[in-house]
Amino acid sequence: MKAIFNDRNLVRGIVLVAIALGFGLGSFNYNIGDFSRAGPGLFPLMVASLLLLVGISTVIRSQFTERVALGFSMKNIVIVIAALCGFAIVSMFVNMIAGIAVLVFGSTAAGNSYSWVRNLKITVGLIIVAFCFQKFLGVQLPLI
Amino acid sequence: MGILPGGGTVIAQFAAYAVEKKFSKYADEIGHGAIEGVAGYAAADEAAARTSFIPLMSIGIPENAVMALMMAAFIIKGIQPGPNMIASHPDLFWGLVASMWVGNVFLVVMNVPMVRYLLSIFKIPYNVLFPCILFFCCVGTYSVNNNMDDIFITAAFGLMGYLFMRLDLDAPPLLLGFILGPMLEENFRRAMLLSRGSFGTFVSRPISGSLLGLLAIFIVWQVVSFFRAARKARLSGELLTASTHSVESAT
Repeated sequence: MKAIFNDRNLVRGIVLVAIALGFGLGSFNYNIGDFSRAGPGLFPLMVASLLLLVGISTVIRSQFTERVALGFSMKNIVIVIAALCGFAIVSMFVNMIAGIAVLVFGSTAAGNSYSWVRNLKITVGLIIVAFCFQKFLGVQLPLI
Repeated sequence: MGILPGGGTVIAQFAAYAVEKKFSKYADEIGHGAIEGVAGYAAADEAAARTSFIPLMSIGIPENAVMALMMAAFIIKGIQPGPNMIASHPDLFWGLVASMWVGNVFLVVMNVPMVRYLLSIFKIPYNVLFPCILFFCCVGTYSVNNNMDDIFITAAFGLMGYLFMRLDLDAPPLLLGFILGPMLEENFRRAMLLSRGSFGTFVSRPISGSLLGLLAIFIVWQVVSFFRAARKARLSGELLTASTHSVESAT
């Protein structure tokens, strides 16, 4: 099962079809009307049907062309997104200095080398930059 | 080349490179570190980036993501890009032209002595650069509305962007659709209303008819070339297997 979905062209087609179906079926909730007096649902339905055609042709085409590995590294993107969300949450409830630390220490975990000392330096540097933003450029940052 | 919609700069770069490969007296060295190869290429890129303003200014069609952003900025400021723009906002238009001149002069003045130091930015390891980039993105997003929720939206779009990148789906067409979509919908509805629901109105007028014709030729050409390439690949594959079979039978 996993081997089938490790094909970039096929997955791309499936994603396009899914998007098209999602928006196309959603557009039926609106009044379609006809061409001479278009309802609000007509244009989304047209775009979605065109996208559906593109998606289906991509799926068909993927069966004839060479496979390209998908190469989706779930771990790294989850780490980076988590670091971003962590930054926002910590900045909201504590302050942005702690948020910067969370961001730096979290996001560098996705890299191939990890060093506490370097992360500490980056954090201090970014906090200084943030203070400069606040003092000299007048950006409202909840630093403390 | 910059006027061509979609990938104008890239096409211009490749064209400049190809022309140089053919006509330059250093043609043999190009591709092996001759500065002429890089210079022509970069000049074409610059020229195409400037000429991509032409479609935006003259007919109000943005041809790439940067021009789409420019167009959005114009519309937010209440200026409709299009044929009337030069007449109705001459100060803005000539200001833009002058800014290109000033900007390029400044580039020369700044870059010639500074290039040594600017290059050192490539020496910063990615592990250091990456959290800094994230931080600046966050600050930029936050400072627009002073709202932390915007960072979650950034994260969601980051995930989407990563997915798109992995699937080899280009982001610029999405952005173009985002900006051109509402205009297309409105004008399509108007055209349909005026023609009482007949699609003939799109092909009966010379300008739109010839544009649609070109589009149709382009699509057909794409499909045909795909099938020809596929058949060629299959034929050569069959030839290969046939020749190996004959070799095996001979031995």
